[in-house]
Amino acid sequence: MKKVQVFDPALCCSSGVCGTELDQALVTFSADVDWAQQNGLQIERFNLAQQPMAFAENAAVKGMLERSGEAALPITLVDGEVAFAGRYPTRDDLGRWLGAVASASELPAADPQAAPSGKCCSGGACC
Amino acid sequence: MKFLDQAPRFLFFTGKGGVGKTSIACASALELARLNKRVLLVSTDPASNVGQVFGISIGNQITNVAEVPNLSALEIDPQAAAQAYRDRIVGPVRGVLPESVVKGIEEQLSGACTTEIAAFDEFTGLLTDGALTQEFDHIIFDTAPTGHTIRMLQLPGAWSGFLEDGKGDASCLGPLAGLEKQRTQYKAAVDALADPLKTRLVLVARAQAATLNEAVRTHGELAGTGLSKQYLVINGVFPESEAVHDPLAQAIFKREQAVLAHLPKALCDLPTDQIALKAFNLFGLAALKQLLDTESTVLAMPDVPLVVPKINAPNLASLVDEIALDGHGLVMLMGKGGVGKTTLAAAVAVELATRGFPVHLTTSDPAAHLMETLHGTLEHLTVSRIDPHEATEQYRAQVLASKGAKLDAAGRAVLEEDLRSPCTEEIAVFQAFSRVIREAGKKFVVMDTAPTGHTLLLLDATGAYHRDIVRQMGGSGRHFTTPMMQLQDPKQTKVLIVTLAETTPVLEAANLQTDLRRAGIEPWAWVINNTVAATAVTSPLLKARAHNELREIEAVATRHASRYALVPILKDEPIGVQRLQFLSKQGA
Repeated sequence: MKKVQVFDPALCCSSGVCGTELDQALVTFSADVDWAQQNGLQIERFNLAQQPMAFAENAAVKGMLERSGEAALPITLVDGEVAFAGRYPTRDDLGRWLGAVASASELPAADPQAAPSGKCCSGGACC
Repeated sequence: MKFLDQAPRFLFFTGKGGVGKTSIACASALELARLNKRVLLVSTDPASNVGQVFGISIGNQITNVAEVPNLSALEIDPQAAAQAYRDRIVGPVRGVLPESVVKGIEEQLSGACTTEIAAFDEFTGLLTDGALTQEFDHIIFDTAPTGHTIRMLQLPGAWSGFLEDGKGDASCLGPLAGLEKQRTQYKAAVDALADPLKTRLVLVARAQAATLNEAVRTHGELAGTGLSKQYLVINGVFPESEAVHDPLAQAIFKREQAVLAHLPKALCDLPTDQIALKAFNLFGLAALKQLLDTESTVLAMPDVPLVVPKINAPNLASLVDEIALDGHGLVMLMGKGGVGKTTLAAAVAVELATRGFPVHLTTSDPAAHLMETLHGTLEHLTVSRIDPHEATEQYRAQVLASKGAKLDAAGRAVLEEDLRSPCTEEIAVFQAFSRVIREAGKKFVVMDTAPTGHTLLLLDATGAYHRDIVRQMGGSGRHFTTPMMQLQDPKQTKVLIVTLAETTPVLEAANLQTDLRRAGIEPWAWVINNTVAATAVTSPLLKARAHNELREIEAVATRHASRYALVPILKDEPIGVQRLQFLSKQGA
């Protein structure tokens, strides 16, 4: 079983409902994460606005931030290696990492809009 | 007083702003302290003035009130609590993560929910800290305005349910994540609130429909959260003995008695106390000690000059003359709840419309029946309402229908849970708000805004939006205007600060002015509502009040306002076009 870590940009909340404009990618990804967890994937999210130490303490994430700034976020690590930067994984990606638990083709269809998100929680400071 | 009889450990005073929560909370603290109980008085109001009432500086630490044995006080400043929270989160990564990233975090933590939750966090400690509560027999909370309070009290319920589920990452608890070490404290706080042996809620109202309706709302919503032990206090009731003296006194007395005779059903069964209107201002220990004393009306009558001169000051219509010169724009009436913003907004709108300008009058007051009576009665005038509760529901429904459309059932449940966060209302109201102010480029838009604390949160949301737009458009050289920029431009927006000619309301209005200036908004004028001094009276009680008002009016005219108007208290409630016109033209 793979271990997945997602480092979010500074969000009020991980589904993005707090922004002045709600980001579909965040809504979709939150649902996907919930689904993946239900199916047994070990997946953890870190919010820059709430747990900045987690970003500072992870060499890979810290390095990406130094090179590319906040635009590098979200960053997804799979077993510690950078798998995605600047966008969220799709439900297919999560399904693939579920691997042994179930194969992706047997899982419910992924949302086609889930992919590239650009900047997250566009709403700025709500919290 | 029934509400102090066998008082439990925790006493909460709640009600629409301006009904006298602070005074009654202070007077209750004095009374319990006099009975040799050790009392802690806590103010969680963003515009706290407990220190001012006792004439000492209190601040964010438990402070002995030197003049009163057994009494200590504490002011929880939500802004300061939020700053401390930000420092706790951001401090450790400063200099470790890139500067731009740190800035982004700070910006994200500069909004409404951080303030709300950080303040709640401090408040929770008082309900659960064993060592602390052992030092006191009673802890009295002078709470923030009602909507605020409800949200604060509802949160721990939601949180506990959430914490038990253990789905730590998925939900929108915002900054709570940074406070998770205190999970057990939140649970204990919820339990304490729901325990009638420990907690009593005192709903404070006036003998006025608006404040009683607010009490009904609070009663229902808080009973729903388990806070079932509730009392009602009707403050500032006009005494019958005064009603014989003059027509205005009689009209006020009759109006109040009619309201009291038809108390809303929901409140009828609550143990109820009435506190008579006092001729003196409730400032300082001597005055406060007399507040709960039923005999004191006569004893406390100060030296009243036989004749109080009726003062001459600009009226509301003269302010409107100047507003009308621009032909369009946003007019916002701001001030604490209960000072009459809705009435004055309606009066300004009617004045502008009768001058032939197209006017959109909008209110965020949930009990704004006054506005409804105006709807469709005057050419050029349209009326609408931003109901925070309704706006939030609509926003939720809209998000679920659009962004939630492609989610499966479990995904929708996650989204629905997140939409119950405290941020949602702020955003929903903000969106409704910015939709309306856009119209002010072509016509007049007149708004009565929500009470002070809430108003500022609203502006903060606008400010956040502003910063966001600037960032997104940075360097592109394109022309843009945000709601915040519109609010800061005196050509486009005129802020009228509404207050009463009483010590605390004037102080609160001055604080509001300071806050607005910090946000880059310069209030255009002050309006002093409900003044007795602007009418001729003979009742000793009313004369005493008129006399007290003069000093406050003087302070506004000379120190606070660049221009101002006086609006007198009328025999008849200013409902309908004609009475509103009459109201604007009185005086001067």
